[in-house]
Amino acid sequence: MARMKFLCDAERCIECNGCVTACKNENEVPWGVNRRRVVTINDGVVGAEKSISVACMHCSDAPCMAVCPVDCFYKTEDGVVLHDKDLCIGCGYCFYACPFGAPQFPQAGAFGLRGKMDKCTFCAGGPEADRTEAEFRKYGRNRLAEGKLPACAEMCSTKALLGGDGDVVADIYRERVARRGTRGAEAWGWGTAYGQPPKGKS
Amino acid sequence: MTIVSRMFAALACLLLAAAAWAQGSAPQDSAKAQQERAVTQPGNNQPVWSEVRSGQPNYTSLPGREMGVLVQPQARFLGQDKFTTAGEAWRQYRNGPIIFYGGWLVVLVALVIAALYFGRGPIKLHDKPTGRLIERFSGAERWAHWTMGISFVVLGITGLIILFGKYVLLPVIGYTLFAWLTALAKNLHNFVAPLFMVSLLVFIVMFVKDNLPKAHDFAWFARAWGMFMRGEHIPSGRFNAGEKAWFWGGVVVLCLIVSASGLVMLFPNFEQLRSTMQQMNVIHGIAGLLVIAASLGHIYMGTIGVEGSYQSMRTGYVDEIWAKEHHQYWYDEVKSGTAASGDTAKAGAAPQASH
Repeated sequence: MARMKFLCDAERCIECNGCVTACKNENEVPWGVNRRRVVTINDGVVGAEKSISVACMHCSDAPCMAVCPVDCFYKTEDGVVLHDKDLCIGCGYCFYACPFGAPQFPQAGAFGLRGKMDKCTFCAGGPEADRTEAEFRKYGRNRLAEGKLPACAEMCSTKALLGGDGDVVADIYRERVARRGTRGAEAWGWGTAYGQPPKGKS
Repeated sequence: MTIVSRMFAALACLLLAAAAWAQGSAPQDSAKAQQERAVTQPGNNQPVWSEVRSGQPNYTSLPGREMGVLVQPQARFLGQDKFTTAGEAWRQYRNGPIIFYGGWLVVLVALVIAALYFGRGPIKLHDKPTGRLIERFSGAERWAHWTMGISFVVLGITGLIILFGKYVLLPVIGYTLFAWLTALAKNLHNFVAPLFMVSLLVFIVMFVKDNLPKAHDFAWFARAWGMFMRGEHIPSGRFNAGEKAWFWGGVVVLCLIVSASGLVMLFPNFEQLRSTMQQMNVIHGIAGLLVIAASLGHIYMGTIGVEGSYQSMRTGYVDEIWAKEHHQYWYDEVKSGTAASGDTAKAGAAPQASH
């Protein structure tokens, strides 16, 4: 099976936020939640500005999964980290644990009361039957079941954001790096998300 | 009002401290380094990645707290040997020492109490009850105690479900029922907490005077072993040294720590950062587990562990012989009319413990 991964090429990202918009539209993301965001480092400094698009990186040893009190996370055969909103209690622990700030909570009441967690699904839906109305309402489009890749990466105008089988993504990136004549240090997020070998829950 | 404003002041201090902690090296240095690096080594973005790894907020057009942080800053909790991403450090601490040592602490304390009960048996009165009753707790004191006590038990049980349920209950009752139970536990925990905090403050104000340490309290500790093992009675004031230790250590120190740390997590709408909530969660967990373990001792001594103790807080009255054997100095004060509480005149109208 494929191991699905995201990669953002900081040399190509132009901070257009097309990925954010594509994601919100494709998945009809809840109000106040952005499953993906673009962050710019050294904003406005000529020669030093780099932008990176970030969402759930679908970690090998996912901290959200490890801390969830109701164990609502699961990993698909493709390595995509998904969660069950019917089990989620809105405690916010996954949000404490995630390095990337991927889990988001729609506000469910006064004083910051959290609703059910919402995050990037790699456009792979949730535990409901594939491509059903119930699945779409809770998790958004299941593009993987339709044989498509995540909307954000597919929509990216400069192909800075790549999403798909890690081996294929790595090949594309290696090709780019070779043509640029650099060593590939501009790959973002892989060390943090996939750095450790897979291990059991701790 | 002062109490509420103090709480918010404490909260504000915590937030300021966290905000100060989150500030660090100047981003201008990093930008300059990147500009130079791009000239000398084109394609090498090391200064940018250092900036990302530092956990500093950068620019994003999307609104929201910490949205400009790509990867959480590095952190390490007490006893951890190396720094790692703050969320991961918190995960390792919570799923490691807190769950392991905290879980065994509660189990071991329960086992020690069970051994004491079945091995030694409860502490009984030496003499027969006289039938004459003394008022030990006023109605207001009992209301404060039981409001705090019952909300404490609710918070303790729901907290244990949230921390340990995944390992203990989930395998037994399954995902659907356990998620329903934990959602209920979370909501009970959140909505009972304010009631607990208010009753806690009222209780402390009501009981602080009679819990001030006295010279004879030290003698009580020296003889405590004889009390637990041989049922000896040690003279003491209205509250003995064990009760005072529970009042100061458990109720005042631990419960206030648990309340303050809980407030920070209960209201995540004050712009507090993830690092603050991780630290508060660790403090909340450690203090909570300690006070749960200690409360088991208090609950045992207040119910089946000591004959007549439950009735004193249930009805407000104790038998004269109970007062004399357990709290000799207080009994003497009541009899001489110098005690602030205690009223023998009401004895005839008092509810009987045997009813």
